Formats: sequence, C-alpha cells, structure tokens
Amino acid sequence: MIEFDEKERRMVLKLVYYGPALSGKTTNLLQLHDLLTRQGRGELMVLDTSGDRTIYFDLLPFFLTAPSGLKIKVKVYTVPGQVCHDATRKAVLQRADGVVFVADSNRAEAGSNVASFDNLERNLSLVGLDIDSIPLVIQFNKRDLPAAVPEEEIRTTWDPTGIPVVLASALNGHGVAETFALVAGLVYDRIDARFALAAKHGLTRERFVAKLTSLKEEP
Amino acid sequence: MSADTLHFVVGEEKKVRELLLDADVLPLLKGALAAGASCARVTGDDGEELWGACSPAGRGGLLRSLPLMLEGEPVAHLELFGAPEMRERLEPLASLLIVALDTVLRNSLKRVLTTEIHTSVVNSSHEELVAMNAELARSEARYRELAENLELRVKERTAELRRAQAHLLQQEKMAAVGQLAAGVAHEINNPLGFITSNLHTLQKYVARFCAMLQFYREHLELEQPRERLVTEAETKWRELKLPHVMADVGDLMAQSLAGAERVSRIVADLKGFSHVDESGESVVDLNQELERTLTLLSHQLAGRAEIVKELQPLPEVKCQGQLPGQIFLNLIQNALTHAGASPRITLSSCFDGERIRISIADNGPGIPAALRGQIFDPFFTTLPVGSGTGMGLAVVWEAVLKLQGTVAVADAPGGGADFIITIPAGRN
Repeated sequence: MIEFDEKERRMVLKLVYYGPALSGKTTNLLQLHDLLTRQGRGELMVLDTSGDRTIYFDLLPFFLTAPSGLKIKVKVYTVPGQVCHDATRKAVLQRADGVVFVADSNRAEAGSNVASFDNLERNLSLVGLDIDSIPLVIQFNKRDLPAAVPEEEIRTTWDPTGIPVVLASALNGHGVAETFALVAGLVYDRIDARFALAAKHGLTRERFVAKLTSLKEEP
Repeated sequence: MSADTLHFVVGEEKKVRELLLDADVLPLLKGALAAGASCARVTGDDGEELWGACSPAGRGGLLRSLPLMLEGEPVAHLELFGAPEMRERLEPLASLLIVALDTVLRNSLKRVLTTEIHTSVVNSSHEELVAMNAELARSEARYRELAENLELRVKERTAELRRAQAHLLQQEKMAAVGQLAAGVAHEINNPLGFITSNLHTLQKYVARFCAMLQFYREHLELEQPRERLVTEAETKWRELKLPHVMADVGDLMAQSLAGAERVSRIVADLKGFSHVDESGESVVDLNQELERTLTLLSHQLAGRAEIVKELQPLPEVKCQGQLPGQIFLNLIQNALTHAGASPRITLSSCFDGERIRISIADNGPGIPAALRGQIFDPFFTTLPVGSGTGMGLAVVWEAVLKLQGTVAVADAPGGGADFIITIPAGRN
C-alpha cells in the first residue's frame, strides 16, 4: 500500500503488471483504458524517456469513494520487461498490493517467462514482499497465437501452485477485464482483512470490483 | 538506502499545489479577465482558493464551476465569475480553461513521475557503484597487505638463503680441507709404514743381540778354555745371523730417521698452509704459499699431472694466512677435475709494481664465454648432479674479495682455462 491516511480518509493502492519483455503488459493497460468506463478512471499515462538509460513505465489510475467517504485510489503500473531495467522494476514493485504476471503463451518464450518469474520473486523479496502471500494472478497472454502452449499443459503446471491463471488475448481485448477483476478481488480480500472495508467503510467486494471494472455501455 | 540520497516511492500522491505553478495558472486566469470575466479562480477540494484573479470592480456572480481531475480524482475546481449577460460567452471559455489546466497538470505529473523514477534508478545505481567501490577498496587493501607481506617474506627467505649459502661455503672449505687431509694422510702413512716395518725388524734384531749377550754371560761363568769359548761363540754368532744383522741395522735406523723427518716436514707444511697457529693477519709470500699447496697436493699430482712453474719474485702481502691456500687449492683442484686424462697446469706469477698477478692455466676444454658470468656463482657447476657442489669457485671468489683483489677467467694459450688473480700489493 502506497499510503493510508486516516485523518484525510484516504487510501492509495498499487497494482503492478509484471512479466517478460513484449508479453503484452502495456496492451493490457491500453485495453483496460478503452474497455472501462471513464467514470472514476484517470487517463493512461505512458512514460517513455529515451537516452542513456531508458526508464519507462505506464500508469493507469482509478479513483473511487467508499460509502463512508474513504477515498480510494488504485494505481495500476506496468514495469519495463527488458532485463536491463531491473532497478526500475524494483522501484515500481515497492509497496505493491497486487501483481499480475503477464506470461507469453508462445512456446519459444517459455524460458523468458521462467526468468522473469524468478526475477519477480527475487525483486519482491528485495522490496520486502512475500510472493506466497501477495495477491497474484497469472495471465497467459497471446492465446491467439498458433504456437501457443496448450491450456492443458499450463493447467498441469500452475494449478498445483494455487495461483489463479487467466487465459487472454490482450490485443483482442479477451481476458483483460477478467484478469483485472480477479486481481482486484484478491486485493480487496487482503485490504478488507486489515482495514475492514466492508464493516467500517461499507464497501463490499462486489462494489469495489464493480467500481474498478465497470465496462463502457455498448453504443 | 542511505540517508543522504533522495528517495521516492513510485506512486506517492501529489498535491495539485506541487504540480501547478503560479506561472502556469495565473496567466490563464488573467486571460479570462481580459476576455470579460470579473473573477477567475481555482479552489482546492476544501473550498480554499489556490489561485485567483479578480477585477477591482467586484467579482459578480458564479457563472461556471468545473472540476479539475488528477488521476481520476477531482482535486480542485475552476470557478468563473461575471455579469449574467456574459454567461454565453464565458461558459465555453471555462471549458477551454479547464482543458488547458488539465493539460498543464498532466504534463507536470508526467515530468514529476519521470524525474522520480529516474532519481530512484540513478540512486540505486549509485548505491550499487558505491558498494562495488567499497568492495574494490577492501580487495585492494587485501592485495596491498599481501604485497607487503610478500616483501617481508621475500626478505626472510633471502636472509635464510644467505645463511644457507654461507653454511655451504664453509662446508666446501671443510670438504677441500678433507680432500687435502686424505692426500696428506697418504703422504704421512707412507713413511709411517716403513718406519713401523723397520721397528719390527729392529725388535727382532735386538732379540738376537740379547741372545748373543746372554750366551757370553753364561759361558764366561763356566770358565771354559778360551779356544772352546771362541769356537762356540762363533757358531752361535752365525746361528743368529749377526753379520747380516749388523750390516742391516745401520740402514734401518737411517731410513727410519729420514721417514720421521718427512712426516714432521709434512706436518710443518700443513701447519703453514692452514696457518693454524696464527690469529688475525700475517705476512705471506704468495709464491711460497703456492709451493706449499703443491706439496700438499703432491700425492694427487705425482705421476698424473704435469706442473709448469713460471714464478717471479713477489713482494710480501699482509693478509689472513689461510686465504691464499684456499684460492690455490680450489683452483688447482678445479684444473685437475676439468683438464682430462693428462693434465698440464701452468702456474705463473709476476709483479708490475702495483699489483701481483697470478695465473693458473690448464689444458682442458676451456670455459665457454656464455658461462663465464656464472662460474663464480654459488651452486653453479657443469658437473653431473651430485658430483660437484658448485661452491669451489665461489670460495675462491670470496677469498679473493677478502684480499681486495679480483679474479677473472680467460682463454689459456692453446686452449684451456686461465684463471687470473690480481691482488694489490705494497699495503704493508
């Protein structure tokens, strides 16, 4: 959690989209931006500085107010996937409340997935977070690729870990909102346990998730 | 993170006051006044005015209030005041103003976020570099310590080596003396052998003399007729082979005395060579020392080596008495070792008024130029492992140095090695 100010009645949460380079993290955010209603959502901010060191992340902020008046801001970040930007990844991971790991379904990228996941595990522990307890969702993106690893295989690998897996095709908008809703729910559970969002602030899980993920009305 | 570096948490909330500057907002608000509004202001979410521009004529009624959003959250409001008849004109202006403010706000946030992440990354890179630098400094200290110790260890080893070398030099001197002793022992044994043999013979002769004397004493008491005594005594005389004994005994005595004299001469030479009776410095004639060395080596030289002497009178030299002997002994033995089956050793000495020059040349294979720099080094030897210690010429070098002289090697005429010793003379 980035911030919780009882006096100001204000809570700032952080969600991070992690994963190997070119697995579709930014595409996820772009799609969320396009799919979700403008109400309570900020503009997508894409930071890219080129030069000596490319330092880069995307930010999609959300804002909602609980019935109690508690203002909740949820900031959704992506991290740069390239191996060389580890310092940026660490900085972005600090105080994260939930992580979406966007894996590449392309079989040729299996090695990059593993390396990036190891990197996530190590960086989480470096910033004082525990991969076993932090809300974590794995999204296998690019399901539309012909060379995608079969779902059966993914389930066999990941189901025993208990980490929820979502199959997605971010480019086509499939599975993007589901992934976000899933991680938002898990984050709610964790925050609710500590700050009694439902009991003290009248904010139920359904309402919290719905506020964040209400889709645009079809025109 | 260290305390003296800036530290940001990515995502920390920003206040609208931190993101918007007076210079960004006030010109826009003043522009609204110029366009006909009586008052334009931005208020925070608690209603407090953050920026404002009003005409002195009074602010009039609120025409339009629009929220200013930051990351989806309404953080401030733009309020436009003016005369009611201006509403139609000012409402689109308000929309325009809010778009302008939103753009400025968003760009500013983007700049701040970029700066923050950049600073974080630079800081952590800097810390990594500082840590790496500290690690390098530690490792450098380790190597410096190692290097210092190494110097100390090299010094220790060098001292150890020097002690061992001095020890070996001493051993070599003792070995040379030992070889010499073996030769000398043979020289002494030879006369001692025939002296002993002669004494054995004399012992038998004395027994016969005693027997003869006993005969006389017994027969004189019997008071026999004289003729008879003479006859019997003559018989006994011959029986004991006394005529032969009488003739031999003189030779035996003379030989034995000569042998004993030879032994005492050898002992005197040895004493002279070793200068065992002298302490400190003494005055020596180098020719005499050379002769004495040859005498002591006579057993090794006799019948085996040809010695050619070309000695000229030399001034006396004051030095530790045993040094010349060490030099000559080692050089002559060296020549005998290397000169092959029929060695010929040429000894020559001369004096040029300042320096004594002594040359010991052999007819061996000579010393290749490439080795001449090394032959005086301790442990250097051309002999098979175990045959030579490589210390003989080192002993020579050391002894010559003590005489304040020099030793060099040259080609002897007709091949072979020529060791030339030069010693300053006239030191009194």
